[in-house]
Amino acid sequence: MNSTQNVIAGVGLADRPLKSRWPARMDFAQSASGLVLGLFMWGHMFFVSTILISKDAMWSVTKFFEGYFVLGVSYPGVVSIVVAGVLGLVMFHAFLAMRKFPANYRQYRTFIGHRRFMAHEDTTLWWVQVVTGFLLFFMAAVHLYQMMMHPGDIGPYGSADRVWSGRWWPLYLVMLFAVELHGGVGLYRLCVKWGWLEGKDANASRRKLKAAKWVLTVFFLVLGLATLGAYMKIGYEHRAQVGEKYTPAWAVPAPKEKAQ
Amino acid sequence: MAEVKAARTLTFKILRYNPRVPGDKPRLQSYQLEEADGMTLFIALNEIRDKQDASLAFDFVCRAGICGSCAMTIDGRPGLACRTLTKNLGAEITLAPLPVFELIADLSVDTGKWMRGMSERLQTWVHMKQEEIDLKRIEDRMDPDLAEEIFELDRCIECGCCVAGCGTARMREDFVGAVGLNKVARFRLDPRDKRTDDDYYELVGDDAGVFGCMSLLGCHDVCPKQLPLQTQIAFLRRKMVLQGTKG
Amino acid sequence: MKVIYTDVLVIGGGLAGLRLAIGAKRRGHDAIILSLVPAKRSHSKAAQGGMQASLANVTKGQGDNEDVHFEDTVRGSDWGADQEVVRMFVNTSPKAVRELAAWGVPWSRVRKGDRQVVINGQKVTITERDEAHGTVAQRDFGGTKKWRTCYVADATGHAMLTAVADRAIAESIPVHERMEALALIHDGGRCLGAVVRNLVTGEVLAYVAKATAIATGGAGRLYRNTTNAVICEGIGHAIAMETGVAALGNMEAVQFHPTAIFPAGILVTEGCRGDGGLLKDASGHRFMPDYEPEKKELASRDVVSRRMEEHIKKGNGAKSRFGEHLWLDITLLGEHHIHHNLREVWDICHYFLGVDPVKDLIAVRPAQHYTMGGVRTKPTGESPTLKGLFAAGEAACWDMHGFNRLGGNSVAETVVAGMIVGEFIADFCDKSENAATVPVGLVQEFVEREKAKLDEIVNRRNGEDPSAIKLEMQDLMTANVGIFRTGPELQAAVDGLQKLLARARNVGVRSSAPGPNPELVTAYRVQKMIRLALTIAYGALTRTESRGAHFRSDYPRRNDAEWLKRTLATWKGDSDTLPTLNYEPLDPRRMELPPGWRGYGAKDYIDHPDTPARAAEIEKIKASGAAGDRIALQRALMPYDHLLPPVLRGRNERIDEPL
Repeated sequence: MNSTQNVIAGVGLADRPLKSRWPARMDFAQSASGLVLGLFMWGHMFFVSTILISKDAMWSVTKFFEGYFVLGVSYPGVVSIVVAGVLGLVMFHAFLAMRKFPANYRQYRTFIGHRRFMAHEDTTLWWVQVVTGFLLFFMAAVHLYQMMMHPGDIGPYGSADRVWSGRWWPLYLVMLFAVELHGGVGLYRLCVKWGWLEGKDANASRRKLKAAKWVLTVFFLVLGLATLGAYMKIGYEHRAQVGEKYTPAWAVPAPKEKAQ
Repeated sequence: MAEVKAARTLTFKILRYNPRVPGDKPRLQSYQLEEADGMTLFIALNEIRDKQDASLAFDFVCRAGICGSCAMTIDGRPGLACRTLTKNLGAEITLAPLPVFELIADLSVDTGKWMRGMSERLQTWVHMKQEEIDLKRIEDRMDPDLAEEIFELDRCIECGCCVAGCGTARMREDFVGAVGLNKVARFRLDPRDKRTDDDYYELVGDDAGVFGCMSLLGCHDVCPKQLPLQTQIAFLRRKMVLQGTKG
Repeated sequence: MKVIYTDVLVIGGGLAGLRLAIGAKRRGHDAIILSLVPAKRSHSKAAQGGMQASLANVTKGQGDNEDVHFEDTVRGSDWGADQEVVRMFVNTSPKAVRELAAWGVPWSRVRKGDRQVVINGQKVTITERDEAHGTVAQRDFGGTKKWRTCYVADATGHAMLTAVADRAIAESIPVHERMEALALIHDGGRCLGAVVRNLVTGEVLAYVAKATAIATGGAGRLYRNTTNAVICEGIGHAIAMETGVAALGNMEAVQFHPTAIFPAGILVTEGCRGDGGLLKDASGHRFMPDYEPEKKELASRDVVSRRMEEHIKKGNGAKSRFGEHLWLDITLLGEHHIHHNLREVWDICHYFLGVDPVKDLIAVRPAQHYTMGGVRTKPTGESPTLKGLFAAGEAACWDMHGFNRLGGNSVAETVVAGMIVGEFIADFCDKSENAATVPVGLVQEFVEREKAKLDEIVNRRNGEDPSAIKLEMQDLMTANVGIFRTGPELQAAVDGLQKLLARARNVGVRSSAPGPNPELVTAYRVQKMIRLALTIAYGALTRTESRGAHFRSDYPRRNDAEWLKRTLATWKGDSDTLPTLNYEPLDPRRMELPPGWRGYGAKDYIDHPDTPARAAEIEKIKASGAAGDRIALQRALMPYDHLLPPVLRGRNERIDEPL
């Protein structure tokens, strides 16, 4: 390469092979998919937690997503399509994020040692993301597959039966922690990665973001545990009638009439 | 009334290893030293070398926190030894050489070679429009605020703390580190450098460059000069993504 | 035997060495830089306050030009400087700032409009001109008539070194790091390179070059209390002197900086006082106006340091468990100024003293700071006695600082000397008669000799402890060859150093491990350092006058009649215990500014017999008005343009002085 050209303006880069544009796209796509999934996760938690208000509220939310209030008829298939999309996004996000995982044992050992000696919160939180991300790769896939194939089973009784009688609650319990930690840390990291909400004093903003992240994580964990507990309770009480669909209170026939 | 306290006895656990001694193995060696008022690791290490172990290797140059020679891991974290006061540390202090960089011996590592490689790779100099500068003429004007902004990023002392504190750099040897990304941000800001984002993309537009950064912010938190690395890397990432998705 | 060939071998990777190598490389000559440390870690980095160049951009610098800079520098030097070299320097310095501006140094810039500054303890509003907006700014420094010091906050050396080192990388100049020159290879008349030790592997090898340049900086570590980096041990000076052919000039001229933090000895910039900071004593009294009513805190460094020590001796020092000190007060400059223009000072106070200079006073006391003496060279940078040996920067004595250097002139000198000597060294290499014919036998002989010396140290059992000897040397120097000097103390130093030198010939090491062996490094350096210390002490003992930083309490007057001359020291034989001193007279009849009162400090001095005649002659030329403008007048008094390399000649544009 012409060294004079290098020193001066032209940079001497005109004749070099151009760098691929893919790293930029992938970096962006990883963050974008993470953002969508993170926000979805929070929304999802709000929707399922409506069980804490009442079974009717949860039933309404379910029916809303099945298009019942718009179309007048339930189309659980709508849910399947959405779930399929989320599953695709999860796989896409996992594929992109996996590039950053330790690629071999040496890298793994190095990072473990680094994390231990540095005792640095953000570094440790990244490792939390790696571990939870790894777990979610399996757990989310199982959960989403189930939802995609049995969208009609979502409901106050359907979900509760799955949690209790279907013995999904251990998975959900672990997944709750994994997803809340992974998503919470991920959303915080997106902010510092892209410089969002940075303001004038980046250090002060970061402290606030970090605090907000922990508050939200705790909030969603509490909400999630309460919700899971609620489903477990309903599922336990409903264990004899597994498979029965919930009928909202206003549609239940007069008490004197016998069911069936 | 200030309480008169007995001086502490400090125990230094220092990672010793001289790769040029056949059969030598990395080991932690302990030294004891009575703490003195205002004692820094510069003072302590020199005292150990003068009085206890003449073979102990370490690097100091300015001993004032401005040359970047004495970076080492102090109780696990990278930092400048010369300006670390022992009174801010516990009675047992563990010192190890910076990781990532080639070990010379004990606490001495070859940051110079790494930094030179980084500079050559990222071409960390102003790429002027023309070589001939008319030295007789008044210099080109620059907005005072811009000059100060450039200086803010120009304060990097290439000590290597950001590299040693970076999870990515620890795992991937080809990563340019915050020091490199900050330099690119610095030249990008400088109107005297005629390079464009297209040129910078060629330098850092990959996973060994800005897209390799996972935003662990170890760099930002250990930088002895408190450089705004978080902000600069985020800024560079946005610009490079824009450049990379433009076409 | 490993031999590396190059055109120009530069020993020292600081600003002077780097800029010199760039100059040679741009002229088509290969250059290799040897450096004890990575180039960007060199001591040039520590320059804080700025570099002097008469750009006259700021309001307080208006009217400044090369003439004013010249006079300030010569007065500062107490007439010890070579005035032609000073002229070359002041004319090139603005060019250096402008070159560095183009290379990316983020010089602090002028902002138009009003701003508040502190002058003489008072808040004053200064209005900067619209037309100066965005040009390189200047601040006030000691010993100057105008605000002339260009700066990058208070990290000027750092910013300059970063830019110049990166430029050297751009020019593909190799820096061989962690390499130490042990001896110069020469045949008694021609220098051919150096014997070099690799500090990582311990290997000894030879570098053979057409031209060899010493740019190794100062020798502050000969003293216990110094602002200098730990690598500033004067080894470059020593290997030049040990040739027995090249001479060191004015080694007794050692500068003490007034404001080193106490007790660590780390520098806080003169910019603190330049920007309005005050010196105060134990009772909070601002004492400098009592001694120096004209320049107060901003007299030259030698004067301020002496006044401070004098004031402490009178019992006005603040007491601490480490001894007495005075206070530097910059609280009046305000938080914004300190956080923007004195950031490094804030850092140093915060980390090393645990105080906040926005609110607290800074404990300071003078400490060794600068080595005015160095390898004696012609204005081209070449040794007059050893062909092919060049020197530049603090290690050189071409001699622009005389007996006291002005603040801001050293970091300026590094790049200016690099620019000038770089051209001359290229000229030297251009000449076919200077092609190095390598006498292999000679190179071999030098390498073997150095290896034998090292082996002797490594193999000596129960030898003297090198670090103990070094410490004794430093204590001797600090106690007896400091700011105030007397015959008996200097004699004691010389005697003590001679004894130490004898012991140093007997040093041994405890560890003979291969690779980096810090004890071995101390062992072979300490002998060289003691020789250098002897050169300072003996030169100071012999010079029975006071001039600039060399102050003899027993001879307090400057004595131009007897001592208007430069000390030249050589070390003739390996077994000598004293340097051989010779003197080179300075001729007032050729001076543009004949000796007189400096404008600060002591007013009485003994005139040189030729001074009055020259002064009258100059007055006559000035009065006749025949010369014309200031440029023509200067040319009539002392032409110097022919001494500069052609590319560096010519006037400098200023806002008020268009070309």
